[in-house]
Amino acid sequence: MKRRIIQIVMVLAGLFWLAGTAAAAEVSQGKCLQYDKERKLVTIEEYDINFTNEHPYGQPTGTQSEYNVATALIGIPPEAGDIIRLAYNVKDGTKVAIRLMNVSKQDLRKK
Amino acid sequence: MDASWLYMYMPIAGVDIFWPGLVLIGYSVGVIGGFFGMGGAWMVTPGLNILGFPMAFAIGTDIAHIAGKSMISTIRHSKFGNVDYKLGFIMVIGTMIGIECGAQLVMWLERLGQIGPVVRWVYVVFLLLIAVMVFSDYAKARQKKKAGEVAGEKGVEGFTWYKTLHKINIPPMMHFKTSGIYCSAWLPISVSFTTGVLAGFLGIGGGLLRMPALIYFIGTPTHVAVGTDLFEVMISGLYGAFTYTLKGRIELVAVFVMLTGAAIGAQIGTVATKYAKGYGIRLAFGAAVLCCMISIILKQFKYELPAAVLILSTIGIICIYIMIIMFKGAANELREKKAREAMATKA
Amino acid sequence: MQRIYHWGKNLLMGLAIMLPATAWAAGEKATNIVVVADTRRVTGILKYFSDLYNTNVVMSAVWAVVLTVAIGCFLGFIMDFIMERSGLDLHSRKIIEH
Repeated sequence: MKRRIIQIVMVLAGLFWLAGTAAAAEVSQGKCLQYDKERKLVTIEEYDINFTNEHPYGQPTGTQSEYNVATALIGIPPEAGDIIRLAYNVKDGTKVAIRLMNVSKQDLRKK
Repeated sequence: MDASWLYMYMPIAGVDIFWPGLVLIGYSVGVIGGFFGMGGAWMVTPGLNILGFPMAFAIGTDIAHIAGKSMISTIRHSKFGNVDYKLGFIMVIGTMIGIECGAQLVMWLERLGQIGPVVRWVYVVFLLLIAVMVFSDYAKARQKKKAGEVAGEKGVEGFTWYKTLHKINIPPMMHFKTSGIYCSAWLPISVSFTTGVLAGFLGIGGGLLRMPALIYFIGTPTHVAVGTDLFEVMISGLYGAFTYTLKGRIELVAVFVMLTGAAIGAQIGTVATKYAKGYGIRLAFGAAVLCCMISIILKQFKYELPAAVLILSTIGIICIYIMIIMFKGAANELREKKAREAMATKA
Repeated sequence: MQRIYHWGKNLLMGLAIMLPATAWAAGEKATNIVVVADTRRVTGILKYFSDLYNTNVVMSAVWAVVLTVAIGCFLGFIMDFIMERSGLDLHSRKIIEH
């Protein structure tokens, strides 16, 4: 009985490991400059990962980038000025967002 | 001094966590849970929240850790023993729906931004209830001792509410052979639903409520109630882990860290029961529950550091106490065994 | 004492049933909360899980359950193995835990 359970678990673990390794998405975070609801485009100014007390969301890099959020799962709708975080994949040169998180408006750390 | 290596970044919750605290909580839950034969999950959700996890993450991570821990104890029993499987599977329906409702409630409160205070206050009530239960148990045991009775394993007998509840005649009526009861299927479903909601909402196994409910409301014999409850805890842990990850409120690595601590702790706790004598230790348990409750109140009023220090030192001290019992007892046993063997070889 | 206990239990159960109702009554429109794991800050197994979480939540849920079960079983076996070799008599008494 014990050995049977071990075998089943091992096989399952192996299968899921294989299935799971394929997925990965880029993540970027920054200040939302514009959210075009009709064209489903979000433009952000990217922040880096130097987090300090004065800059809890990282420091501005000056780089602007545009994301297609037509298929993305969006939480609290972003507005210009919000800090947002996106997980995205690059498809044919455009950055297609999968998930969009409104970091500054849903600060979970305070809950 | 740079203490940043003591903190671990949790990518989903987005918080830095004092990881030795995580190990201590996992380990203590193992020791205390193993020793007292109670889940001990009630201290994990508040503990995680006090360490810095957002409340929804604390609940999700706790319930996933229950799934792992119930696997460990199920393995130890190697099979469930006295499970009324028919009753168990009927109850799974209620448990799963209940957990989903509890989890949805958590998500709803999170969206409203009320999750922290609401769960904390429900916990305060819940822990107060446990403390009252433990202290009254202690008082009863003392009374019996004075009266010269032998302390029985069972709690109070004589509540026969289930007899009334069995008269409820809503089809489908079912016969549970292992438990030897005949009642409406809705009775176990509603009992398991209620405990399920609480389990999903507070991130606990729910055994603390399910056990008395099984005995007093459904009328299962105590030994069947133990096995069936274990089965239900495992199901609720697994389903809870699934639904909370789906909602993205679990930090899996924190679960593993705690599980490892719990596995080691549970052994020490269960072995220690063998050497512990007297009911005095129950008072320590009650005190731990009360300290946990106080630290939740402290957290609610934003005294973060005192709250963390209080809960961690309380469970730490109880752990050390149980460990001393265990190591002293074990050393004694091994010494006696050696002495016996030496005698045997001489003779 | 027993009465207080049952009173408390009933109160708690009542609370559990009432809470959804009050939450519903509060009824303001609340938006969904979406979390993106910050994979830029982590490495190794943490990165793997956060990547999986960002891209495929269902898979990460199944994975979480399977892994938790696997680790639970694994730890259970390992600890039993170690304790059996400690020389203590672990069979002469009842273990009740859950």
